[in-house]
Amino acid sequence: MSDRAEGQLAFVKKAVLWEKGNKIADFEEGKVFHHHWGRTLNEGDNSLFTTLTQMYNPVYFNEPYARSLGHEKIVVAPLLVFNTVVGLSVEDLSLGGPFVGIDKLVFHRPVYVGDTLTARSVVVAKRMSEKRPGSAVVTWKTEGFNQDDERVIEYMRSNLLTDSV
Amino acid sequence: MIQQTGLTANDNYFENFEVGAVYKHARGKTVTENEAVTICHLVMNSASGHFDDHLMATAHAAGKAHVDRALVYGGVTISITIGLAYQDTGEQVIRELGMDNIKLLGPVLHGSTLYAYTEVLAKDDTEPSAGRVTFRHYGVDQNDKLVFQGDRTALVRKRPQGA
Repeated sequence: MSDRAEGQLAFVKKAVLWEKGNKIADFEEGKVFHHHWGRTLNEGDNSLFTTLTQMYNPVYFNEPYARSLGHEKIVVAPLLVFNTVVGLSVEDLSLGGPFVGIDKLVFHRPVYVGDTLTARSVVVAKRMSEKRPGSAVVTWKTEGFNQDDERVIEYMRSNLLTDSV
Repeated sequence: MIQQTGLTANDNYFENFEVGAVYKHARGKTVTENEAVTICHLVMNSASGHFDDHLMATAHAAGKAHVDRALVYGGVTISITIGLAYQDTGEQVIRELGMDNIKLLGPVLHGSTLYAYTEVLAKDDTEPSAGRVTFRHYGVDQNDKLVFQGDRTALVRKRPQGA
């Protein structure tokens, strides 16, 4: 690298990584995480998700049809609700490794365009991996709520986590 | 209220599903970076392994990752597979009730192609105008590898009078 390039990149050597996420040790059984941000799901979000994934039931993209079934607005695709709640929880829970499974997922009530979701999780179990020293399978129960604090979804999620050194 | 007729098919009501039946759905889909990364960001999944190829290449070179480029976020694999099955198994759904036993069994990369299969696991005649159906969805890639499996229960409309 030229002296000039090295001079330009002096900040790289000085920089301290602004870390994200939690370590395996942070997941004590019973610990509760109130996840960041929240998310208002607008019509554009729902149209984009529904069409990109071909979720072809008009209740998710045809307003008169949704009204004919007794809804006041277009229904948000349940898998968008699921993915949004997962997304809100990723930084707290699962930057350390991949999905092992999702179980016991319940959609408690419909979410409508314009609703705002928030998410909360509790650590249900942690099992250190025998096959991979330094890794653990952690299981959480995650719940998603709308702006009226009504629960719209719950599920159990397990991931295989490895602490980065 | 105006009745919405003729907008959906006539062969996917509660009565049409038999326990034990297995279907292959008509369309496959190559999962491109376009929708995989778009949906990952749309739902604010901040795990870099789904959108940083360089990070994954570096991790792979160091023996810390099985693949050398970004992995498709599992929620996208689940959603695209169920999407491929949805015209047939979701068009008459009144309400999605839940999912269970969801497993992601192999890596899906930008450029992988998914095909969807569905098995009817159970039926429960719960209401005059609808009933519960539990489906098992399978996602299979271009090499016939099972990459996703999961059960989904929904309230499916019965055939309306005269339909």
